[in-house]
Amino acid sequence: MTSLPSCPWRAGRRFLASLLVTSALVAAAPAASLAQAVGPSWQPQASERLVKLPPQYLKKSLDSDFADSELGVALRDTETKVRLKMQTLADLQGAIERADGEVRTELRHQFLAEKKAFIDTMNGKQELRRKHVKTRKQVLEAVLDRLNRESRADVSPARAQLVEKQKAARQRFESTFADVDLKLVSAMTTHESRYAREYAKNMASIQQLVDAVNAHPMNRNAEEDEGLSRADQIRRMIADSEAELALLEQEERALGYMAKLVALDAQGLAEEVEAASIGRDAPETPSLEAAVKVFVGSN
Amino acid sequence: MQLRLKHFAAGAALLAVAAAAAAATAGPVENLERERAIMLATLLDPNLAPGDRQAKVETAKARLADLERIVLRDSSLAGRNTPAVRRVFENYDLSFLVHAALEKNMAVVDVWFEQMGLTSANVLAARKGRK
Repeated sequence: MTSLPSCPWRAGRRFLASLLVTSALVAAAPAASLAQAVGPSWQPQASERLVKLPPQYLKKSLDSDFADSELGVALRDTETKVRLKMQTLADLQGAIERADGEVRTELRHQFLAEKKAFIDTMNGKQELRRKHVKTRKQVLEAVLDRLNRESRADVSPARAQLVEKQKAARQRFESTFADVDLKLVSAMTTHESRYAREYAKNMASIQQLVDAVNAHPMNRNAEEDEGLSRADQIRRMIADSEAELALLEQEERALGYMAKLVALDAQGLAEEVEAASIGRDAPETPSLEAAVKVFVGSN
Repeated sequence: MQLRLKHFAAGAALLAVAAAAAAATAGPVENLERERAIMLATLLDPNLAPGDRQAKVETAKARLADLERIVLRDSSLAGRNTPAVRRVFENYDLSFLVHAALEKNMAVVDVWFEQMGLTSANVLAARKGRK
């Protein structure tokens, strides 16, 4: 909490001026944020590892990298401050309702000061969130770009032809395997080869593991996105970031209005205090009736 | 003379190491090609007695079948656009001789001849003549 000013009237005016500056700053915050690139940062890279990761793990990896970053720590700290400020505001609001007279005025003054501090903190939080979402969006765009470049390189005619031939060969091999294997085993004078034996054994184990993976509850999230390609899923994540940025803009407008309200409240309080102060200091003007009494009563 | 022999032994040892290293870096495709070449050489060797050839082919066939399966199942080869990989998937019957032969109920050598355009009918229809 801020310290109480000694003279509420003068302090109120100074406070009003500072609030007007705050509301102007809050309104100009998006523009300032573009110019201001200092402060805690998060610099993830669209590395080969990120490009290769399945989208659901890509998101988790980015979130975990952000949580460990300077920016992530700063955002968590700011969120804690916002929670504390909210608590202070609620306490002060309760105290104002119970107080009266000068104490009430002092508390109202302090309430406004805390509101201003809350808006400042929220503004800082929005700034950090904007930085986070923008950086995440940039990384996702870089990952998508690399993915697109790789897939373009992947579909060279020669490679596409090779992939088709490999697919056809594997299909033919799979479809004739049982028949060919039977003939091979029956025609062979020696025992089945070690490779064939071990391969069959390992395949049985792998199948059991695959069944367990498919039945695992955590695998359901991955299944939800199964119909979408990796590029589609990354595009969806970029769209989510865009939506978050748009919501941030909206929240910043709300903060601007909050700052304006605080400025108006402060103006109201300053005028109220000023009026009360003028009323208290000025000597009472005697009425004509009282003067008449003086004149009539004297000899 | 002794010194020269020592030099020769050292050179031979180096060559052996180099050859071993080359063999160690050969992938499944290269191993398949080598094994297939040995099998074809055995099949076409005029100096081998039919019984010996049969025994050698049977042993080579099992090994070749395994190598063919290794190549066909190797996921790391998917889309690997190298001359060796392109060549091996160019013609299934020619590359995976044992599987193609068993699939078609033919002898390995017949599949190979067929793929090379040498059928029994072609050979019988051939006429002796001067070019």
